[in-house]
Amino acid sequence: MIGALLVSLALQGQPTLLTSEPPSIVAALTHETVEIREDFSGQELVLYGATRGMTIQDEIVVVLRGPARDLRVMEKQRNFGIWVNSAPLEFENIPSYYAIATSLPLEEIATPESLAGSGIGLPATLAIRAAPTAAQTERDIRPYLDAIGRAGSRNDLYAEAQRGVEILDGGLFRATISLPPLTPVGNYVAEVYLFRDGRAVASRSASLRVEKAGLERFVYEFAHDWPWLYGLFCVVLAVLAGYAGYLAFNRR
Amino acid sequence: MQIYLPIAEISVNVFVLLGLGAGVGFLSGMFGVGGGFLMTPLLFFIGIPPAVAVSTQANQICASSASGALAHWKRKTLDLKMGLLLLAGGSAGSILGVQLFAYLRSLGQIDLFISLSYVGFLGIIGGLMFLESVRAILRRNAGGARRAGAGGGRRRRTWIDRLPFKMRFPTSGLYISVIPPVAIGFLVGTLAAIMGVGGGFVMVPAMIYILRMPTNVVVGTSLFQILFVTALTTVLQAGQNQTVDIVLAMLLTVGGVIGAQFGARAGRHMKAEELRALLAFMVIAVCLKLGWDLVVTPADLFEVMQHGRGGL
Repeated sequence: MIGALLVSLALQGQPTLLTSEPPSIVAALTHETVEIREDFSGQELVLYGATRGMTIQDEIVVVLRGPARDLRVMEKQRNFGIWVNSAPLEFENIPSYYAIATSLPLEEIATPESLAGSGIGLPATLAIRAAPTAAQTERDIRPYLDAIGRAGSRNDLYAEAQRGVEILDGGLFRATISLPPLTPVGNYVAEVYLFRDGRAVASRSASLRVEKAGLERFVYEFAHDWPWLYGLFCVVLAVLAGYAGYLAFNRR
Repeated sequence: MQIYLPIAEISVNVFVLLGLGAGVGFLSGMFGVGGGFLMTPLLFFIGIPPAVAVSTQANQICASSASGALAHWKRKTLDLKMGLLLLAGGSAGSILGVQLFAYLRSLGQIDLFISLSYVGFLGIIGGLMFLESVRAILRRNAGGARRAGAGGGRRRRTWIDRLPFKMRFPTSGLYISVIPPVAIGFLVGTLAAIMGVGGGFVMVPAMIYILRMPTNVVVGTSLFQILFVTALTTVLQAGQNQTVDIVLAMLLTVGGVIGAQFGARAGRHMKAEELRALLAFMVIAVCLKLGWDLVVTPADLFEVMQHGRGGL
């Protein structure tokens, strides 16, 4: 009895001993912009940061979220022996990229309920973003959300790195996140959470921009800003290429 | 060496693209066909979004038909008047096709529609070509006896001759209604927009068997129509859907121009009937592969599409 009391006292006393100040966190990414050029085939990003008031039981969760996209998900059904896309559901504001890196497997850091409450982790994020769709339909949207998750994982756009966060001495930490070849362009947000007893007690965010550069940017902007002129340019180039081929091979 | 395609927005190996261009170019040089019906499905298989593959193919066919059309223009082996009529129909078909394409894409049914179009057209054309060439080979082996009536003599009157709005075509030596050429051109223009093909595999047989044009002007006239219809399709797809990838088109063109030269050389050593039987085999193989993909249970029973683009 007395022993148990002492233990609980010691447990209560421990955090107060080590954290004389409220926990806080700072973080930065190695890049503020990532440029997609002709030779882009993915890139590694490092997020580093420091915490104050971190205890031995605390864990770090890093999330990198890409620009939101509107999706349509269709279920394939067999009609006359052919698989046909049917039963469409529209989902708005679904992140095109979602990577999570943690210092421990996520399920050991917090309960699914706690994660759902704070919207951390892909299932929680998708569930929150899909709420308007769920309200509009009587169908079960879970298979649709699973399909979104599978489609993202196939292209490495949705990724989870258990123990992807390395905790160094003195409250410093480092997370490595990789951007795949199919990385969408747009504004990204990196969020860093300090978890204590299954709850996020401090957080910090940093931003990242992924954009096309060089020839990629020139062609993309040309094609989108002056689409008709671009179309004519493509035709002229094609005819010139055809003429060059004619000169090179047909004239003797 | 990877290259990131600015409009398709994926990273692909340059040598895969050059190799595809050269391989399909080789076959098209050997068989004297455009090769769009082979290239477009191959682009799907390497992961190019269907909308980008079809539009970019129109641009590439524009390049490859330009050099062929120029050669025929110089040799005067094209019927300009007939070509312009086919082109008028083709332009209307292309405009309609691009609209249909955009509409079906908004419904999420474009991939299925493209596949069904391929299976239908390739199945019919491949089957007919195969029967034709088997008969020709059998006939040749039977002793080369010419079938009575083939080629020579005056042509018989058909329903085509009863149509109104007749016009004279001095180059082809024809006096026929303008309706069949415009209709054929329209069909081919629609195919160019929806399937990313030049449509020579439909137009050439139609010109020979329906319009009964002399064979020496058929290929040149067909290339003339294809050049302008694919040029129009390129501009429309770029202007309306922003789905033409110039980097992809140019890489395929470079491979294609070189491949076609070697293909043409290889083709000279083969007999025409055997070439046609081989081409029929390939057409049927592509048809069966696409047909199989329609009926086999897919790996994922759900499809995730981004608004205004292909897959996620």
